[in-house]
Amino acid sequence: MVRTDKNGQKGEFKKTTPKDIVYFILPFVSIGFLLLLWYRVSSITSLFPGMVQTYERFLLLLEKPIMRVPFYGHILASLKRVVIALLAAIVVGIAFGTLIGWNKKCDSFFGTVFNFIRPIPPLAWIPLITITFGIGEFPKILIVFIGAVIPIVLNTRAGLLSVEQIYLDVGQLFDANRWQMLWEVAMPCATPAIVAGIKTATSAAWMVVLAAEMLGAKSGVGFLVTRGMDANDMPLVLVAMITIGVIGALLGVITSLIERLICPWMRIK
Amino acid sequence: MDENKVILKISNLSKTFEDKKGNVVRAVDNVSFDVYDNEFLVLLGPGQCGKTVMLNVIAGLLEPDDGEVRLDGEAVNGHSPKIGMVLQKTALMPWKTVIENTEIGPKWKGVSKKERREKAESYIKLVGLSGFEKSYPAQLSGGMKQRVGIARAYTNDPEILIMDEPFGALDAQTRYAMEEEVARIWQQEKRTVIFVTNNIEEACYLGDRIILFSERPATIKEIYVNDLPRPRDMISEEFMKLRTKISDNTDLAI
Repeated sequence: MVRTDKNGQKGEFKKTTPKDIVYFILPFVSIGFLLLLWYRVSSITSLFPGMVQTYERFLLLLEKPIMRVPFYGHILASLKRVVIALLAAIVVGIAFGTLIGWNKKCDSFFGTVFNFIRPIPPLAWIPLITITFGIGEFPKILIVFIGAVIPIVLNTRAGLLSVEQIYLDVGQLFDANRWQMLWEVAMPCATPAIVAGIKTATSAAWMVVLAAEMLGAKSGVGFLVTRGMDANDMPLVLVAMITIGVIGALLGVITSLIERLICPWMRIK
Repeated sequence: MDENKVILKISNLSKTFEDKKGNVVRAVDNVSFDVYDNEFLVLLGPGQCGKTVMLNVIAGLLEPDDGEVRLDGEAVNGHSPKIGMVLQKTALMPWKTVIENTEIGPKWKGVSKKERREKAESYIKLVGLSGFEKSYPAQLSGGMKQRVGIARAYTNDPEILIMDEPFGALDAQTRYAMEEEVARIWQQEKRTVIFVTNNIEEACYLGDRIILFSERPATIKEIYVNDLPRPRDMISEEFMKLRTKISDNTDLAI
């Protein structure tokens, strides 16, 4: 379609092309396939809960609390652990990452130990943490913290190490002191990497909290999974799994929004 | 104004560096020259001849192997705040807006926000970028970015302004416009400018004096005094004569 715009120039409306329609429909198709697969599997064996059954279990869960905690209470319990652990991980991770990324001596002092601790999965800490701190809230948050802090440290360090020399030259040319060099030149350079680290940490924290809850908790979405398994209540397991998926995806959306807020210049391409 | 007061004295400067293959390369070889107060000095030399290395030594970003740089009679050690620089690659901070980029010099010196903003504004106006203060560098064209680079350098109030092939990455049209701008700004804001280029026409258009360098290692071939009246006419007979004289004496860079 050809139209004439304000300046009298002819231009074209951005038409909705068949391609756009395809891209719009494809996600729904994949969800459709997933539901179809679910339907097929559940119709083969009666052990696998069907969609209707799961939906009914979901409605029941809304009415009837488990361990005296309502459904949203379990979600909030998991989120609370994640948020506290993440905030602590952001503060500690950025501080430690900056220390080893900005100071070569600190890097060589801490680097080896850090590289040794890094590959240990957070869940492997559970026994030690449990015998040391018991089974309250703190040990769970600590495990989540361990899972979240590592990507933040790694990305902060990598971000600072990859600051381009030319920006450091500019810092020197305009007589930045060491502090300004770090805060006004290097840190902003490293910010996109740090934020990417926080995004990774958020999804890691969400996974770790669920695993930690499955091993010993009286609340939380992970606890619902265990509870469903123990009570042979498979619809409950599915409700919990779907909740985990939805909230994980929402967390991803939120962190992306925060990224846009923190790095406004990244939006301009 | 004393035309021939020496502000910067470069004596017997030599610098070698190691290239990526580990070979030792002599970039600058025993170079000496004087820079006069408020002059527009052009350093002209073929690409890769060691000009940038020499500038980085003068600006204090690199240590010389030999020789010294004296500013107002005092030996320069490291970077002197009296020397400002406009970089070939502009190097604006992508996370800062135009005005924030322009004011970094005074900001880092601790000048109050009101005062440094005013100063930055005035130089942004001088380079013709009023209205773009809140834009990010990624929203600007190459020529506009380099204007910000120039405003940033002036806002820091250097006695000597080094410009390292600032227009090398610009298209021909923009380049002519920017050459005019730089000549205009220099006449409005008298300051010593050391301008580096590999473009003979640009050198003749801008320079009061033109120092011609050989290919690497950079040594001085000849110094030309250019007293053609400004604004200069690039197709006048005298301009062409000077241009031909210099180009006949230039090492080709390939």
